[in-house]
Amino acid sequence: MAEREKEIERGAEEIIKSFVEAAKELPKLKETYYSQESYNVVRPDGEPSREEERTEFRKRFISVMPGVDEQGNLRVEVAKWAEER
Amino acid sequence: MGRGTLAKLEAIRRGELSAVENVQRALEQIKKLDKKIKAFIELNPNALAEAEAIDRKLKRGKRGGKLAGLTVGVKSNINVKGLRTTCASRTLENYVSTYDAEVIQRVHAAGGIVLGINNMDEFACGSSGETSAFGATDNPAAPGYIPGGSSSGGAAAIAAEFCDLCLGTDTGGSIRNPASHCGVVGIRPTQGLVPAHGLIELAVSFDQIGPLAPDVHGAALMLQTIAGRNPNECTTLDLSSVDYSDELDAGIKGMRIGTSPKFNELTDSTVMKAIDGAVEKLHDLGAEVVEVELPHLEKGLSAYYVIMSAEFFSATRKFDGRKYGRRIEEVCGDEVLRRIKCGEYISRKEQRGKYYQRALQVRTLLRREFKKALERVDVIVGPTVPKLPHKLGTELSPADMHAYDYLTAPISLAGTCAGVIKAGEADGIPVGLQVQGKALGEGTVLRVMRALEVAK
Repeated sequence: MAEREKEIERGAEEIIKSFVEAAKELPKLKETYYSQESYNVVRPDGEPSREEERTEFRKRFISVMPGVDEQGNLRVEVAKWAEER
Repeated sequence: MGRGTLAKLEAIRRGELSAVENVQRALEQIKKLDKKIKAFIELNPNALAEAEAIDRKLKRGKRGGKLAGLTVGVKSNINVKGLRTTCASRTLENYVSTYDAEVIQRVHAAGGIVLGINNMDEFACGSSGETSAFGATDNPAAPGYIPGGSSSGGAAAIAAEFCDLCLGTDTGGSIRNPASHCGVVGIRPTQGLVPAHGLIELAVSFDQIGPLAPDVHGAALMLQTIAGRNPNECTTLDLSSVDYSDELDAGIKGMRIGTSPKFNELTDSTVMKAIDGAVEKLHDLGAEVVEVELPHLEKGLSAYYVIMSAEFFSATRKFDGRKYGRRIEEVCGDEVLRRIKCGEYISRKEQRGKYYQRALQVRTLLRREFKKALERVDVIVGPTVPKLPHKLGTELSPADMHAYDYLTAPISLAGTCAGVIKAGEADGIPVGLQVQGKALGEGTVLRVMRALEVAK
């Protein structure tokens, strides 16, 4: 591992240690995961988007892909760990 | 430029100033000064065409919308279709957004003109505006000093009069901190008041989109434009709209304003001097100033960093260099990597509930303390940042850098709202007063800020 990464990892662990130290004497309460207590999990019914909108979105999406094959499919790089096998 | 937001809106409505002229002036100002300030990463090539469309609409006698003809800068982590949304990182440097965030749709519908994309700390990880892959932003209100972060470009753009309003994001203080250093107005809305759809997240349970503006009316106007329920989003609050215009100028006579002795303990005396002056002014304006208890205020920062890092680590797993962009760990800066490593460590060791779960308990504690304190008063006022900004390029330890968030992170944990307005100056550098309110107490917060603005 590069020296930079090691040093950064040490810094990260310090942050965690300082939290453990700061929280030592604090009471154990119920956790708050999110500020809201109720969530809207129901989406309204809607018309499906038009064909031309979907085509336009697909074009825009393909334009930001790192690689596209002749058929217009996303071409992804083979992961380094797979290459090493 | 230079006139108040409402006066400019009125001038555009009456035809004394066209939207096109407004955009042209902004572009000239940017051309003249932004090479040095670096408030914008990219300008919208369609801004003039959008302004022409607004002018045509107004000439036909049609209503232009709440923001008709005003120029808007957008932080680089909010999607604007056709413009690059890079989070100021090499990871996404070629990512051209494929859609408009919900807030951008609302800005467009209100007649606002997106002028361009503002610079920021990389992935919103920073409090100085120095970690952007596109270069550090200078502070127009105190040249040579950091503008604060992470919404550095937005605050600097307002201070330099590059645009009328900006959209920033605040996770642990990223709107409030640069608003303070640059002497502008900024609001962190109550969690869930403003839709987050289209925001590239730093920490999903904290992130809030909010306004940066030259004055309180401008901030209120932008907040009114972007606030309200998005039916497609599970975490927006069930409010169809908000309107603060009636109460803004109601004054603060009889209002109860809280301060805490903790602020004094955690803040440099030069900063506190300006803050004390502003509190005295609020008292002179008829408010009753009372002391409130925030016993564990200083414990908020480290809990915030644990929760934020864990959520950030999870959020960045999609930046693996496959569908778009480059693998984040290979190209990001030190602060981004530090937070990823921190989050990775927490996620790896979390089985005993030692870190993330414990930090969520501290969040409950802070929420309760703020709730209790805010039951006694209408707002709590104090400093935004505990120290003056450092000179650009000064090397700071991570702990010293994180200390900028000491007084803003607790409100993020509490999930309530806060606004910042210039309280005064220390050594010629702006110092912002943080006005902390109850959940959905933005109207009261804005009213206090407006009273102080008028008193100046």
